[in-house]
Amino acid sequence: MKQILYFTLFIFFISVVSCGVDEECRKDKTVQLEVGFHKKTLNTTTNLYTNVALSVDSLTVQGLDTLGILKDSVLYKNQKKLSKISLPLNKFASESRFVIKFNDKTDTITISHTNTNEFLSLECGCLKVHTIDTVLTTGHYIDSVKIVNHSVKNNNNNAEHLQLYKNK
Amino acid sequence: MQSIYSYIKISSLLLCLGVFTVQAQKKTIEKPKDTTPEVPFFNGFTVQIDAASLVTTALIHGDSYSMEGAVQFNLKKKYYPIIEFGFAGADKISNDNVEFKTNAPFGRIGLDINLLKPKKDAKLTNNLFLAGVRLGMSNFAYSTTNLAITDDYWGNSQILNYNNQKSTKIWYEIVVGMKVEVIKHIYMGWNLRSKGLFKEDSQGNVYPWYIPGYGINTSSNWSGNYIIGYQF
Repeated sequence: MKQILYFTLFIFFISVVSCGVDEECRKDKTVQLEVGFHKKTLNTTTNLYTNVALSVDSLTVQGLDTLGILKDSVLYKNQKKLSKISLPLNKFASESRFVIKFNDKTDTITISHTNTNEFLSLECGCLKVHTIDTVLTTGHYIDSVKIVNHSVKNNNNNAEHLQLYKNK
Repeated sequence: MQSIYSYIKISSLLLCLGVFTVQAQKKTIEKPKDTTPEVPFFNGFTVQIDAASLVTTALIHGDSYSMEGAVQFNLKKKYYPIIEFGFAGADKISNDNVEFKTNAPFGRIGLDINLLKPKKDAKLTNNLFLAGVRLGMSNFAYSTTNLAITDDYWGNSQILNYNNQKSTKIWYEIVVGMKVEVIKHIYMGWNLRSKGLFKEDSQGNVYPWYIPGYGINTSSNWSGNYIIGYQF
């Protein structure tokens, strides 16, 4: 009987002491558009085109705002041997433009997209996810664009959304 | 914290075992003079309040509060159907100043079974070792406000406010506890509850941080009650 009483009291104290919850947000709050560079080469034995990752010798990427002014902050500055880039889409506009300088040739890529609010949790808040509508590009270096995945969400294993092709 | 949970679990189990062995010993002594009087179907009911939630709310000015009471019927001194009702709420501000608010009533229905055989001797002390289930429900409105989205590269920011969001949650609880008649008609006791939601929120929606009667909105949760009740 006494044991039950002690245990009852013990439980009472435990129930009074509430426990804290993990309040840190460990999730990434910005989603990135993953862009890969590719080239098609003709396999002479099979006579079929194969898709090969293209490594660009020197790459500079900058955003171009809605007024057509280059952003001061440069995303990639003269980076060597890149075959893949991650770009931030504009969270509050339906169009994002980037000026990409491949070695000595410059292309402007225009991505139109819709933005949706996505709630993560009280700790992490909301983030913007995007759905790509269309992609336009100038053709100085890039020959074609392929949209692999329209949905730009919190990225699972950095899968490509866009593929830019250079056909020699 | 995890170690405390396991400690509680283990000590609860040990206690259960202890109670059973004690009971078994008594049974062997009582057996010869067992004259099994007929147990009436209805044996009154207890009106009880949960002191744990009241004390917690009064002492700790935390993010949430809760008050609850219950009416528990005594059928055949074995089955104890229960109706629980209460009022709970939360006002929580996250590290990023996101604020969540809710206030709502909740209810639960359920059944406890007394695992101890009722005593037949003249000196009636009613000790109950109860195990049971509950079905809980709360229909509540909540708000999640001051959600900031900023664009570090392109500039600009936005504050999102989701007011008057509505939700209905249904959950189950598995309850284990004890109730002891300390003075005539006055019962005290405790119970531990393991809770689970039937349907979780879909990703991306502004789901509630706290559910009245359930607690913090995670797929499983636990809580404890400290009961003070009066037997009618």
